[in-house]
Amino acid sequence: MLRKLLKYEIKATARIFLPLYAVLFSIALINRLISFISPLEVQAPKIISMIIYITILVGMFVITFVMMLQRFYKNLLTEEGYLMFTLPTLPWKLIVSKLFIAIMWTIASGIAAYISIFIIFMDFTGISSLFTALIEFCGKLYTLFGLSSFLFTAEILLTILIGLASGILILYASMAIGHLFNRHKILASIGAFIALSTITQILFILLVSILHSLHIHDILLETTNFLNMEVTVHLGIWFIILAAGILATGYFVITNYILSNRLNLE
Amino acid sequence: MSTILECKGLTKTFGRKKVLSNIDLELETGKIIGLLGPNGSGKTTFIKLVNDLLTPTAGEIRIAGFKPGVESKKIVSYLPEKTYLNEWMKVEQIIEFFSDFYEDFHADKAYEMLQKLNLNPGDRLKTMSKGMKEKVQLCLVMARQAKLYLLDEPIGGVDPAARDYILETIINNYNKDSTIIISTHLIADIEKVLDYVIFLKDGELVLSSFVDEIRAEQGKSVDKLFKEVFKC
Repeated sequence: MLRKLLKYEIKATARIFLPLYAVLFSIALINRLISFISPLEVQAPKIISMIIYITILVGMFVITFVMMLQRFYKNLLTEEGYLMFTLPTLPWKLIVSKLFIAIMWTIASGIAAYISIFIIFMDFTGISSLFTALIEFCGKLYTLFGLSSFLFTAEILLTILIGLASGILILYASMAIGHLFNRHKILASIGAFIALSTITQILFILLVSILHSLHIHDILLETTNFLNMEVTVHLGIWFIILAAGILATGYFVITNYILSNRLNLE
Repeated sequence: MSTILECKGLTKTFGRKKVLSNIDLELETGKIIGLLGPNGSGKTTFIKLVNDLLTPTAGEIRIAGFKPGVESKKIVSYLPEKTYLNEWMKVEQIIEFFSDFYEDFHADKAYEMLQKLNLNPGDRLKTMSKGMKEKVQLCLVMARQAKLYLLDEPIGGVDPAARDYILETIINNYNKDSTIIISTHLIADIEKVLDYVIFLKDGELVLSSFVDEIRAEQGKSVDKLFKEVFKC
């Protein structure tokens, strides 16, 4: 059932994102052509096309964000919720399908932005030198850290994914809490977001001070004498992954509880 | 006769307001049941509870033995009073959606009903009027071979000509294994198809009886009895 939900979530969102990326790439290509054909002394077309490109680039990220909110809010918490919540599936699958696809489009929009920049500025020698630099960088990383460089890459990717997930889930949880109110639901959602972020910050400060009082850093520094800096860095990354993971789980549990037990569609 | 729907002490409150109080009910399979009551009597709340769209404050519900959840949703076909269709979809896309999610959905039956109601499967829902969307929804809901149909105000928004076709569709779909619960306050239109009626008043069950018994014992139509019970 989750697979089918993902399929429909992609269908519902691709019809917005794919044309959006096509427009972005076209404008980037037009920029490239204009700077290629227009004489040096004529600046106006270049500037205008660049302004249009930047507007669309910023617009793409705004739309990515708005779609993330809208797919959850409109599809689950307004009238469309009558359809979604009477499907023979569990609420957590609905949340996960929205979450996965929102993460996917956020990453896709980031990649699309890079590609559009390449289209405007890069020539073949530029691209090839970029790749050589990238390969060189990976090689250096490998000679410095050995096998652990793969671990670093995996850790960083995981951090990005978990970070995105917890960033999206705090918004879902806020909307779910806002839904509990009979009136001014959107205002209540914004209030819930402020409250959740404040609680998150307080918890984070508490956690850091607890670690501080346990003299973790002293232990780590001593360990570095035994092992090396690497371990400390790995531990640091895993601390971030763990903290973001706990937060994401907390927001998910709140959202799932409300959608399973406190649903009250208008 | 097996039981399709059973409620024990079913209660729902919103804040301090009691919308349903202590409903005990046992409904047999194979009937067309009218859920009748004036506006605000708790009809929609009752239907939403059965569909797991609300959680009871107290008491319990069983649908063919299942608690409201994945298993019950597989056998319940629900027509809400709202239009829940995704605006961006074409009618044929929403039919595909239903085929994907409900094993008991028959796409050919849905297309047949759409054709009878002069609806074009290629049209986008965005371009349709509210009445047309309600008809599409009814086609989707009745094209399932469900055990229990829950129809919340199915004839409220459509024109009288379509009303007859819809009632006909509902009766034609009825078989010994399925049960239909229709909530409405337009009793006169629907009385002739009902086997059984439930009266709700201010969240309380005031009557649960066979239509024939009402006619035989009280010597009056359901419509007349309704007007007496809910006299303002």
